[in-house]
Amino acid sequence: MKSANYIQESNVKTLLEKMPTIFKWVSFLSVLLLPVIALAAGADTKAMSVEYRDVPGIGSRNLVWIVAQQHLLLAGFVLGVPIFGWVCEIVGWKTKEARYDKLAKEFTKLLTSAYATTALFGGILLFLLIGLYPKLMAYLTDMFFPSFLVYCLLFLAETATLYMYWYGWDYMQGNKKAFHLFLGFLLNLFAIGIMIVPNSWATFQASPVVVADGDAWTRAWMAMQNPTWWPVNIHRLIANVVLGGFIVGAYAGIRYLLAVSREEREHYDWMGYVGNFIGVFGMLPLPFAGYWLMREVYQYNQQMGITLMGGFLAWLFILQAMLIGVLFLGANYYFWMGITYRIPGSENSYKKPIMAMLVVLLLCLGVWMTPHTLVASLAEAQKMGGTHHPLLGVFGVMSAKMTVANIMILVTFMSFIMYWRAGKQETAGWAKAAKAIMNGLLAIAAIAVIVLGVWGYFVPAIIRINYFSVAQVLIVGFIMVTFTPLTALLLKSAKTTTEMVWGKMPIRAGYCLVLNAVMVILLMSLMGYARSSSRVHWHIYGVMRDTSEYAFSPALGYAAAFMSLNTFVYCLLVAFIFWVATLGDKAKAQQAQAAVADAPGGAPAMAGGAPSSGENFESGILENHK
Amino acid sequence: MRGPITSGAILLAGVFVFLKFILPLFTAPLPASLIYLYMTLAFSGIMLYGTMSASSLESLMGPVFRFLSGEGQSGTGKLARLAVLVLFPLLVGWQTYTSLAPSDLPPGENRTIHPAPPGEFVGLANPYQNNEANINMGKGLYAAYCSPCHGANYDGKGPAAKGFNPPPANFADPGTIAQLQESYLFWRIKKGGVGLPVEAMPWKSAMPRWEVELPDEFIWKIIMGEYDGAHQSPRTWEEDD
Amino acid sequence: MSEVALLQIIGLCVVGAGIFILLFIKGMFLRVVGFVAMVLGSFSLIALGVPQVASLPPAIEKFDLAKVKSPDDLAAIGQKIFFSKGQCALCHSIGPSHSARCPDLNGIGAKLAPEFLYESLTQPQAYIYLDFRHATKPEEYPARMPHINKDPIGLTKPEIFSVIAFLQKMSGEPISIKVEDVMDSEEDQTETVEVALNANSGSTSSVLVESGVAP
Repeated sequence: MKSANYIQESNVKTLLEKMPTIFKWVSFLSVLLLPVIALAAGADTKAMSVEYRDVPGIGSRNLVWIVAQQHLLLAGFVLGVPIFGWVCEIVGWKTKEARYDKLAKEFTKLLTSAYATTALFGGILLFLLIGLYPKLMAYLTDMFFPSFLVYCLLFLAETATLYMYWYGWDYMQGNKKAFHLFLGFLLNLFAIGIMIVPNSWATFQASPVVVADGDAWTRAWMAMQNPTWWPVNIHRLIANVVLGGFIVGAYAGIRYLLAVSREEREHYDWMGYVGNFIGVFGMLPLPFAGYWLMREVYQYNQQMGITLMGGFLAWLFILQAMLIGVLFLGANYYFWMGITYRIPGSENSYKKPIMAMLVVLLLCLGVWMTPHTLVASLAEAQKMGGTHHPLLGVFGVMSAKMTVANIMILVTFMSFIMYWRAGKQETAGWAKAAKAIMNGLLAIAAIAVIVLGVWGYFVPAIIRINYFSVAQVLIVGFIMVTFTPLTALLLKSAKTTTEMVWGKMPIRAGYCLVLNAVMVILLMSLMGYARSSSRVHWHIYGVMRDTSEYAFSPALGYAAAFMSLNTFVYCLLVAFIFWVATLGDKAKAQQAQAAVADAPGGAPAMAGGAPSSGENFESGILENHK
Repeated sequence: MRGPITSGAILLAGVFVFLKFILPLFTAPLPASLIYLYMTLAFSGIMLYGTMSASSLESLMGPVFRFLSGEGQSGTGKLARLAVLVLFPLLVGWQTYTSLAPSDLPPGENRTIHPAPPGEFVGLANPYQNNEANINMGKGLYAAYCSPCHGANYDGKGPAAKGFNPPPANFADPGTIAQLQESYLFWRIKKGGVGLPVEAMPWKSAMPRWEVELPDEFIWKIIMGEYDGAHQSPRTWEEDD
Repeated sequence: MSEVALLQIIGLCVVGAGIFILLFIKGMFLRVVGFVAMVLGSFSLIALGVPQVASLPPAIEKFDLAKVKSPDDLAAIGQKIFFSKGQCALCHSIGPSHSARCPDLNGIGAKLAPEFLYESLTQPQAYIYLDFRHATKPEEYPARMPHINKDPIGLTKPEIFSVIAFLQKMSGEPISIKVEDVMDSEEDQTETVEVALNANSGSTSSVLVESGVAP
C-alpha cells in the first residue's frame, strides 16, 4: 500500500517536475497545429452540407486567386511554347537553317520541367477548390463529369507525345524529321484540347446554359457549348502564342544582357528578334479576338456587358489600354532600334518614318486611354457640366477605341514591313509600281478606317457593331494579307545593300524585351480579374450565387497589387525553370571554355556587360569617368 | 543650334499650353488628370524618339548626364548643378506635402454613369405597341412628370435643372439613351437614384423613384415618348427594328 | 491607415527598392529583377491612383407570401424569379433577342391560358410527339425544356404562379392569377413531397429570391 502510494506520489512528482517541458511541447505543437485547428473549427461537423471553408489569414478567395493565376499563366506558357517551337522547327526544316532547329529544341527542353510545374499547380488548385468551394465543385462535377475523363485522357496523350517529341529529337533528324514534325503537330493538338476542355468549365460559370434531361455525356456536351466558349478558346490560343513569343524574347533579352562572348551576344540578339517577332505576329489579331469575346458577352447578358465596359470595371479597361499601349510602343521601339543598331548607317534615312509612326501611335494611345467617365474634382466637374467632357467625351466610346486600335495595329504592321525591307534594294522592274500601289492602299485603308470610325457615331449601335467594326477589321486584315506576300516577292529579287549585324543592340533593348513580357503577363492577370469580377456575386452567373464572405469584387487598386504580386511570382518561377533547364548547358560550356582560354572581349565591360564598346553610349559614358 | 533637349522642352511646353489655355477657349477646360495623362504620353514619346539610336541618345541624354555628374564644371555650371541638386528634392518634398496636406476640397471622384442594371431588368421588352397614340400619351406624361428637369426639348435643360449637380441627363446627346436598351430606362425611371448600385453613388442622383407614383404602363409609354421626342432610337440587337 | 494608403506605401517601397538596385547593384540578373519590380510597383501605384470602388453583392431579399397583397406584387416576385433562380432568361427572352436560344415569350401571357403555361413548365414533353423513325420502340425527342418543378431548378408552385403572373403583366394583360389561388396552392403543396424538398427555398412559407438591388 505504502509503496504503491509512494510510487504514485513519485510519478506525480516527476510529472510535476516535467510539467514545464511538457507544457512547452504542447504549446509548441499547438502553435504548429493552429491553422489546422482553425480550419477544423471553421468546418461544420456535417461534412456533406459544408458550402465554404476558409483559410485563416490570407482568405480562401485570395489563395485560390494566386494559385489559379499561376496555373493559368504556366499553362499559357506550356501551350504557347510548343506552338512557338513547332513553327521554328518547320522554319528550320524548310530553310535548312540549323539555328532555328536549335532554337526549337532549346525551348522544348524547357517544356518538360514547365509541364510538371503546371500540373503541380493544377493539382494544388484542384485540391483547394474541392476543399474551399465544395458546393460549387459538386455542381460543376455533376454537370461536367464526363469531360473530366476526356481531360485526363488528353493529359495522358499529351504527356506521352511530349516525351516522344523531346527525347526523340536527335534521333528523328534527317528523313525521320517529317514524323517528328507530325509529333509536334499532335503535341499542339492535344495541348489545345487540354486548353479548351477546362475553358468550357470556366465559360459555363460566366455564361451558363440550361441543361435539360439526358444522359451524363449529353448534358456535359450541352453545358460545354455555352456562348462564350469558342470566343475564349480563340482568344486564349492567340494570347498563348503572344505569351510564348514574348517570354522567349525576355529570356533572350536577359541572356543577352548576361552574355560574355560575341557568339552568345549574336545568338541571343537573334533569338530576341525571333521572340519579339512571333509575339507581335500574335498580338496583331488579338484585339479582334478580344472584341469578338466582348461582343458575345454583351449579347449573352447586357448586365455583364455593362459591368465590364461602362460600369464597375470601366477603369480596368483604361488600365488595359495603358498596358497594351506600352506593349505596342515597346514592340515597335524594339523594331526601330533593330533598324538603327543592326543596320549600320541607316539611321538618317529612317528618322522621318519612325517619327511619323511614333506620333501616330501616341495620338492613338491618347484617344484609347481617354476614359468615358473622367476623374475630376468638384470644381472641374462643374465647369465641364458633369464628368463627361463635352469635346473629349467622344473619345470615350467604343467607336473611337475600335478605330485607334485598328490604326495602331496597322502602324505596328508597317513597322515590321519597314524592318523587313531595311538594308535591301529592290531590283525588280515592277518594284516602283508595287511600292506606289502599296502606299496608295495603305493611305486608303487608313482613311477608310477613320471614316468608318467617325461615321460610327451617327448610326445605330447595331449597325456599327455588325458592319462598321467588322469592315474596319477586314480592311486592316486585307492590308496584312496582301502586303506580306507582296513584300516577300519584292525582296526575293532584292539585293542586300547592308548586312544585318547581330549582337550590336544596346542594353536597353534587353530591358525592352523584358518589359514586353512583363506587360503581357500583367495583361493576362488583369483579364483574369476582369473575367472573375464580371460575374459579380455569382459563382455561376444567374444560377448559383456566391454566398461566402468573399462575394464582393475588390477595388481595382487592391486587385492591381495582387496582379503585380502574381506577375512577380510567375516571373521568378519561369526564371527558375529556365535556370534549371540551362544548368546542363553551363557544365558543357565550362568544359568548352576551359579549352578556349580567354576569348577576346569576353569580360564584361561594365555592370552587366555592355554589348559593344566604342559606339555604345552607356559604356562610353562610363569609360569617360573611369 | 537647337538640340533635342530644347526641342523636346519646347514641344512639352507647347502641348501643355495648348491643353491648359488654348483648348478651353473653345470648350470646357480639361480636368488635371487628363492633362497629366497627355503630358505623360508626350514625354514618353520624346524619350522613345531620343533614345532610338546611339547618336540620338548621346545628343539627348549626354548633356544631362554630363551636367549631373559635374565633371569638369566651373563657375555657373557648377552653381546650376548645385541648385538643381538642392531644388529637385525640395520640389519632390513640396509635391508630396501638397498631395497629402488636408484640404477642404472633396477628393476627385469616379462615378459610373451607366452602371449595370440588376438581372431582372435586363432584356425586358416594351409590352406596349409603338404607335402614334401610345407615343403621344408618353409625350404628354413626359411633359407632366419629366420635363421640369429633363427639359421640354429633351436636352436636360428644364427650368429646375440648374439646381442639380450632377445635372439631369440630356437625352438628345447620342451618348445617353441611344446607347441603352429600353429595359435599362425602365429600370432607371422605376427605381430612381436610390436604386443605383454603390459604384454609381446613389446618394448623388436626385432622380425620383417613380414606381411609387406611376404604374408600369405609364413608364413604358414615357420611354416611347422620350425616344421619339429626342430623335433617338433604343439600342437593340436586331437590325430590323 | 486605410488599406489604400498601406498599399501605396508598399508600392512606393517596391519602386524604391527597384531604383536602389538599379543604382547600386551590378549583378545583371538582379538589375533585371529590380527593373521588373519598378514596373510592377508603378503599375500598382497607377491603379491605386484611381478612386477606389469595390462592388458589393446585393442583399438577399426574402419575400414573404403573406405580404403579397395584389397581383402586381406577385408579378414583381415573378420578375425576379424569371431572371435569377428560375433560369428562364438563360434561354428565353421577352421581346426579340439575338442571343435567345428558345422561343420569345413576348405576349405569351396573352396568347396562352395560365393553366397551359403551368403545364408546359411542369410537363414540357406533354404535347411533344414521340420519335417513330426507327425500328425499335418509339423514343422521346431530346428535351430542350427542363422540368421547372424538379431539380436542379426546382421552383415551388407559388413561385411558378408568380412567374406566370409576371408573363401576363409583360403582355399588357390583366393578371388572372389570384393571390388567394397561390395561397391555396401553397397549402396543397405541403403534401407533395417532391416540391417541398426544394433545397433552395428552405421553407415553404416564403420564397427566397435574389435581387440585384443594392442595400
